[in-house]
Amino acid sequence: MRIITHTCPACRTVVSANELEVNRVMKCPGLGCDNVLRFEDLDQEEREFFLGHAEQYEL
Amino acid sequence: MKGVLLSGGTGSRLRPITHTGPKQLVPVANKPVLEYAIEDLKEAGITEIGVVLGNKGREAIQELLGDGSDYGVEITYIIQGNPLGLAHAAGCAKDFVGDDDFVMYLGDNILKQGISELVESFNRGNYGAGIALQEVDRPEQFGIADVDNEGNVTQLIEKPDDPPTNLALIGIYVFSNDVFDVIERLDPSWRGELEITDAIQALLEDGHDIDSHVVEGWWKDTGKPEDILETNRLVLEDSRLKQDGTVSEDATVEGQVDIRESATIQDGAVIRGPVSIAENTVIESGTYVGPYTSIGPNSTLESIHIENSVVIGDSTIRTNGKIIDSLLGRGANIGSAEEELPEGRRLVVGENSQLKL
Repeated sequence: MRIITHTCPACRTVVSANELEVNRVMKCPGLGCDNVLRFEDLDQEEREFFLGHAEQYEL
Repeated sequence: MKGVLLSGGTGSRLRPITHTGPKQLVPVANKPVLEYAIEDLKEAGITEIGVVLGNKGREAIQELLGDGSDYGVEITYIIQGNPLGLAHAAGCAKDFVGDDDFVMYLGDNILKQGISELVESFNRGNYGAGIALQEVDRPEQFGIADVDNEGNVTQLIEKPDDPPTNLALIGIYVFSNDVFDVIERLDPSWRGELEITDAIQALLEDGHDIDSHVVEGWWKDTGKPEDILETNRLVLEDSRLKQDGTVSEDATVEGQVDIRESATIQDGAVIRGPVSIAENTVIESGTYVGPYTSIGPNSTLESIHIENSVVIGDSTIRTNGKIIDSLLGRGANIGSAEEELPEGRRLVVGENSQLKL
């Protein structure tokens, strides 16, 4: 199963695509990091793959 | 080598304790379970640690561990979100791990002997993975490894009807970077999770050697209340305990007793170790704290007899009763109903609580 993540460029916290997709826009969960992370931070191909296989990433 | 410490999961078997916090922060001998894993990783020379967080208790874990500097390690957080399996958690750590090998450690596990030997054994060969094993009495209830004479794993079987060995997989693994390619090829199991045993089996089928290391000392998964009590007992038995707190002249303290600074044992109290008493806790006159008990911080005990129990902290217990084999959550208070009418016990009990009266 392809696992898609995004690494915050400010603090290196790693966030999975399912977490980004649920929140769409979120404050970086890294400690003391004020960066804002978006689902759109993923490459277009990664976003399309994730949305096309969303059932895999759900419980 | 890096470390990946899994700290997600719902902790459903530890309810109600986990209604208000993650299972990895439940204390054993007055130290959160997760800290034992950090110490094991550091002892094995691993100071770059990725902590994988799920949907529950993230802030509490981050508040405890911070950036890792209090422990002499460097922590990066990895947000897995939905608990899609151990192999999914490992896969989420791919960018953090980079080109290194890594130890994957389940954050609710505690080992007596640490992980240094497992890591050293892995480093001595050219392995796709190394797995920690332990001999168990009922192998049909575990994931079991079959190994050859040199300790190389030949097969993994989940809960076999006819187990070829009694060597069960415990929650600590070493992986080469090759595991990430294998995880990409896995499909979710019947329960919708990416299984780590499937990843190891796929490494085997790809022709990788898989090292094994049999853990000799005790190992505990602290997933249930009775596991917390047993692990507390094992850790207290093995600990070198010291008394930094205040013990009044007419208090009785016997055996190995850990009394933290600012804890007080007052006249007429009896402590029989092994016992741990945390900071700012007062054991008042007429109280007996018996073997294998840990009393957390900011608590007051009066008149109670308590044994083989864990009081997590911020509790006041003032009653003449006896408490044994019990796990009390943070802020749980117990008073006396002795002079109240009508006679009877008065309870305010949360969901999933278990009481024997």
